[in-house]
Amino acid sequence: MIQNILSMSGYGLFVWGSFTITFLACGLLYYKTYKTLKKYERDFANEINCLSAERKKVVIKNSKVASQVLSSFSETI
Amino acid sequence: MFKILNLSNIFFWIEKLIGFINSIFFILLLVALSFALIFSPPDYLQGDSVRIMYVHVPSAWIGLAAFSSIAILSICHFIFKIKNIKLITKSIAPIGLMFTCLALVTGSIWGQPTWGTWWAWDARITSMLILALFYIGFISTQKFILDENKANKISSIIAIIGLINIPIIKYSVEWWNTLHQPASIKLTGESSIHSSMLTPLLLMFFVLLLYCALIFLMKYKTEIIRIKKKNLKRL
Repeated sequence: MIQNILSMSGYGLFVWGSFTITFLACGLLYYKTYKTLKKYERDFANEINCLSAERKKVVIKNSKVASQVLSSFSETI
Repeated sequence: MFKILNLSNIFFWIEKLIGFINSIFFILLLVALSFALIFSPPDYLQGDSVRIMYVHVPSAWIGLAAFSSIAILSICHFIFKIKNIKLITKSIAPIGLMFTCLALVTGSIWGQPTWGTWWAWDARITSMLILALFYIGFISTQKFILDENKANKISSIIAIIGLINIPIIKYSVEWWNTLHQPASIKLTGESSIHSSMLTPLLLMFFVLLLYCALIFLMKYKTEIIRIKKKNLKRL
């Protein structure tokens, strides 16, 4: 049965090739997107951490995004 | 109502949605792959090569749908000047380009055993290639033109011009004598595909749509952070 699934009656190379290319491309795009997102999160969190304590408080109070990024970033450390 | 559309609120929901999609994605992928590669029957004419359809057709649908939404959103951007729209189109474009290229590549692989050739300058295939070029134009202007307003304007024009190509792709198999077969699935009227093949096709489409949603949300989140980072001094 496994032999049949792999050979696909002689079309195995075409079928498996198509699925492999599709999932490789999807995996690569996911990896690149994830890496970029994490880089932006890290840079943003670092920039907030570089601010003075008072200014940092104001930023966290005024921006939900900043507070969320900061908390998720500290969770991953 | 408008409070929901606030970037901070959107950001909160994006986190939740990404978590939800991640939790169901792999199970659905396994189910869809099992149907596509094992349970669905071979075609009486094309044999097992028909299974390529389960990645080729959803990729083409997503490529077309993504560009249509980019073009429609670009028209809205021209009329209403909502900055959020540009973030959305910018996040959709790479997904659309990837799936258009995948439709071309998997179509080419499918063409070899069925038509005996990897490529033909057929109306459907050529118009899909033109769609990929429109995507490249759209993404390049966003990437290489430094003035953001100018980049938005030019990319919107590219998307709106590219919209003309969408009906050409759709009806190319009816307007011209092509190697590519006519549509088997119709929104209006009876589809000529058996349910044993339609089920895996729709399952694969759903899984790939979920994947698109995941990538879109991650890209959109990145864009929001980029804007917030730029505005940090103003806070």
